[in-house]
Amino acid sequence: MNNKTVTAEFKPIWNLRITLITALVLVLVAILAISIGPVALTFQEIVRTFFAMEGGLTGRERTLLLEIRLPRVVLGALVGAALATSGAVYQTVFRNPLADPYLLGTAAGAGLGATIAITSAGTSFNPALPIFAFIGGSAAVAATFLVSGRYFSNPGVLLLSGIAIGAFASAIQIYLQQRNTEVLRPVYSWILGQLTVSDWNNVLWAALYIFLSLIILFRISKLLDGLMLSDEEAFSLGISPNKIRIIAVVAATMATATAVSVSGLIGFVGIIVPHIIKGITRRVTNRALPTIALAGAAFLVLADLGARTLIAPAELPIGVITAFIGAPFFLFILRTTKGGLK
Amino acid sequence: MIKVENLTVKFQDTVVLDNLNLEIKTSNWTSIVGPNGAGKTTLLKTLLGMTSYSGSVSFNGKEVYKDLSRNVAFVPQRPIVPIGMTVIEYLTLGRAKVDGWGKELRRGRIFIEETLETMQLVGLQDRFATQLSGGELQRVLLARAIVQEPQVILLDEPTSALDLQYQIRTMDQIEILKNQGVTVVTTMHDITLSNMYSEWIAVMKNGSVLLEGVSDEVISSPQLREAFDNSISVHTLESGKKVVVAARAESGRRDSNPRP
Repeated sequence: MNNKTVTAEFKPIWNLRITLITALVLVLVAILAISIGPVALTFQEIVRTFFAMEGGLTGRERTLLLEIRLPRVVLGALVGAALATSGAVYQTVFRNPLADPYLLGTAAGAGLGATIAITSAGTSFNPALPIFAFIGGSAAVAATFLVSGRYFSNPGVLLLSGIAIGAFASAIQIYLQQRNTEVLRPVYSWILGQLTVSDWNNVLWAALYIFLSLIILFRISKLLDGLMLSDEEAFSLGISPNKIRIIAVVAATMATATAVSVSGLIGFVGIIVPHIIKGITRRVTNRALPTIALAGAAFLVLADLGARTLIAPAELPIGVITAFIGAPFFLFILRTTKGGLK
Repeated sequence: MIKVENLTVKFQDTVVLDNLNLEIKTSNWTSIVGPNGAGKTTLLKTLLGMTSYSGSVSFNGKEVYKDLSRNVAFVPQRPIVPIGMTVIEYLTLGRAKVDGWGKELRRGRIFIEETLETMQLVGLQDRFATQLSGGELQRVLLARAIVQEPQVILLDEPTSALDLQYQIRTMDQIEILKNQGVTVVTTMHDITLSNMYSEWIAVMKNGSVLLEGVSDEVISSPQLREAFDNSISVHTLESGKKVVVAARAESGRRDSNPRP
């Protein structure tokens, strides 16, 4: 029996080709998003400008490309990657396919932070908003861990603590809104999500934290698979489940809080994108994380393209788009893959 | 050899294991039996190295607590079956200890395919683990532990979810491992089954080992009945085999179901 060879169809659990294809899709989607708009830019013009070749764009069109469209696409890609990856990580850590990156109070905390920023500065755009949202989101997660106490390793306890903290933060937020009715509109539009305020400063600030989180998550992605087993099995395979769990939750929360702080609450990405990848590949391994990140980036860039072109010159909130195209597509994948969720 | 000396485990203020002593011989099958709440599962998890304790639990002279270097497989009684995970992906995770996390080596794949065959799982490899029957799932769990190529395998009630036919098959598979040199420790409700397969039986009650010894001696010992508050009776079949059955206080009816 020992000289038996592997049967003909040695299909590895994870295949890097899927990652490469997804990366290609992202590049194409990004170029598409950059070229489409009130002023159309051609593929050639874009490439020539990027590589500083002759025939590149100049003047207003160059500014449009480099200062308006590009930062917006890059920010969209970053936020999409952050939300999709943290969603996949939360689903593993909490052993719950419906876990989303706004769990643990991140969304409500960030919402409260944003509301405080808007109420204290009035209705004009407030540059401190992302910082307040980030602090609010992180504080809510810290509070969630604190109230879970020594039971934090129990996914159920952590989840319920997150819901309670979230409800508490939402209550304060609603109170503040009622006291300052003039801010209802800006708070509401922030909650629906937008990528409109992206200048390069915002983008670089977000990129720093999101890249850091993603690198950590990619590095532990293989070990994360152990968390899908029981803690005893994970331990017996040589990993310390609690340690991995803490690193994963902290990194995923940092990515989420950053995404929320620059773009508001963009729903569905964190649930839909991981499941689409898992449904297509019939694999749940976290070795898919880089692919999920790329797919999340492509998905959000595409959604943002829809948000700003569908009813141009007006803009739709991107959260509406992600739900509108994401939900049916998600259901389609779910049905055609014969219920990977069962 | 695993040597357990004066082992005490407390959860908050509750003493779960109380000054327990036990020696587990290499390449032997040791069964831990005892009533519910005796601390069997806690002992198993302590042997794995996940539970903090006072006293000593040493494996070849090294304390086991938080020692991730040993290759000890664990088969839980109530498994967590990852949603959406196929059998082959599940089994591949079992190679993580030997081949490394996320690595798919040819040797590992051959080992997995051989295990699929010996565990009669061929054809199920692309099914979702959540869609398997109880018997199939139990075989997958055991297969996951086997592909780990462990030195020691700890099984928490490996037969509790199975009908009689699969109980014997599972025990036979475990015996094959033992014959290959793996040290086997099982917690069992079924003393008759323990006696059929294991060399050594340790009877636990209230967090300590009440008696231990060669299986046949333990099963004949009057102390065994004591451990179960005299609610069992031991009978010798014509073949000379001993069976333990649940018994009403006095009569010890033969027709009662031997499964507790």
